[in-house]
Amino acid sequence: MTNHERYQRAFSTLHASEAHWTEEPNMKPARKRYMPKALAICAVVALVIALAGIAYASNVGGIQRTVQLWFHGDQTDAVLDIQDGSYTVSYKDENGETHQQSGGGVAFDMFGRERPVTEEEILAHLDMPEVEYEDDGRIMVYYHNQSIDITDKFDDDGICYVQLKDGEKTLYLTVKYQNGYSVSETRFPSPWEFN
Amino acid sequence: MRLTTEEAYRAHADAVFAAAFSVCRSRADADDVVQDTFLRYLTKPKEFESAAHLKAWLLRVAINRATDLTRSRWRDHLSWEEEIAALPFEAPEDQRLMDAVLQLKEQDRIVVHLYYFEGYSVKEIAQLIQRREGTVKSRLSRARAALKTMLKEEWNDDEP
Repeated sequence: MTNHERYQRAFSTLHASEAHWTEEPNMKPARKRYMPKALAICAVVALVIALAGIAYASNVGGIQRTVQLWFHGDQTDAVLDIQDGSYTVSYKDENGETHQQSGGGVAFDMFGRERPVTEEEILAHLDMPEVEYEDDGRIMVYYHNQSIDITDKFDDDGICYVQLKDGEKTLYLTVKYQNGYSVSETRFPSPWEFN
Repeated sequence: MRLTTEEAYRAHADAVFAAAFSVCRSRADADDVVQDTFLRYLTKPKEFESAAHLKAWLLRVAINRATDLTRSRWRDHLSWEEEIAALPFEAPEDQRLMDAVLQLKEQDRIVVHLYYFEGYSVKEIAQLIQRREGTVKSRLSRARAALKTMLKEEWNDDEP
């Protein structure tokens, strides 16, 4: 018996639990962002200050806010609905066309228990840079009023590192070509750390 | 190509679970990793070039998630020795092999699992875990030597 056969027989005893998955036709993907806890907490502080005075209303079972967010380099009024850790944000572009994006997720507390992400974490998440693969083939990074073309900036391993500054704040962005990106306030995240 | 999440789960959940278990050494954590991995699949608007591409992507997500989990989560469950003692192995040497593998360093376990269980080449593993081929070779070589020491005649010297 070869080592491959031995190994496969031993590990074939492992089986995943039964589960059933249903596709949600209206479910839109969350932005492909990896949000380190430390960054989320730091960003929340800034956002709470920035959002003071924002219109606020409660909807049925959730929270609805009108917020100012950056989309593709333009600051835009958007309606943000939050319910049980999921969000939907709607805004109109310069042509009056309405866009909607949804997402959400869970986080782990210090004891390893799952919990829905909070409103503050969602707002911090929406304030992060985003990477877009445009129809014309360009790859763009959008952060606040900055638009950066990184199409030709990837190394041989398909990795691109971008340093973003807005006032006193510096963000370090690592982009894996067509495989997600990650942001940190302290260092460039290693490509190994995320998908 | 794009399978439904249910189809992808039926096809690859066991492979994802085995990869996650080889990192986490916990069935409970491996189950969490499987759920997270397929949730990521469900929410990721990504087309795959082939079934092999899909599987490699799922394994990469699972290994990264499992690695995160072992580093970040406070865990309170069975030791891995207790975990494998409860598994229904076909033969006693299977349990000894898994026991030996789970004693390897985490990074070596990942490479060994992808090589011996999934049948990937060194080059493919390097692409999947985004490390240099030399790094993968060195981890594989170190792991084989350790397995030979632990398993003696139950582990062959049949690889270069």
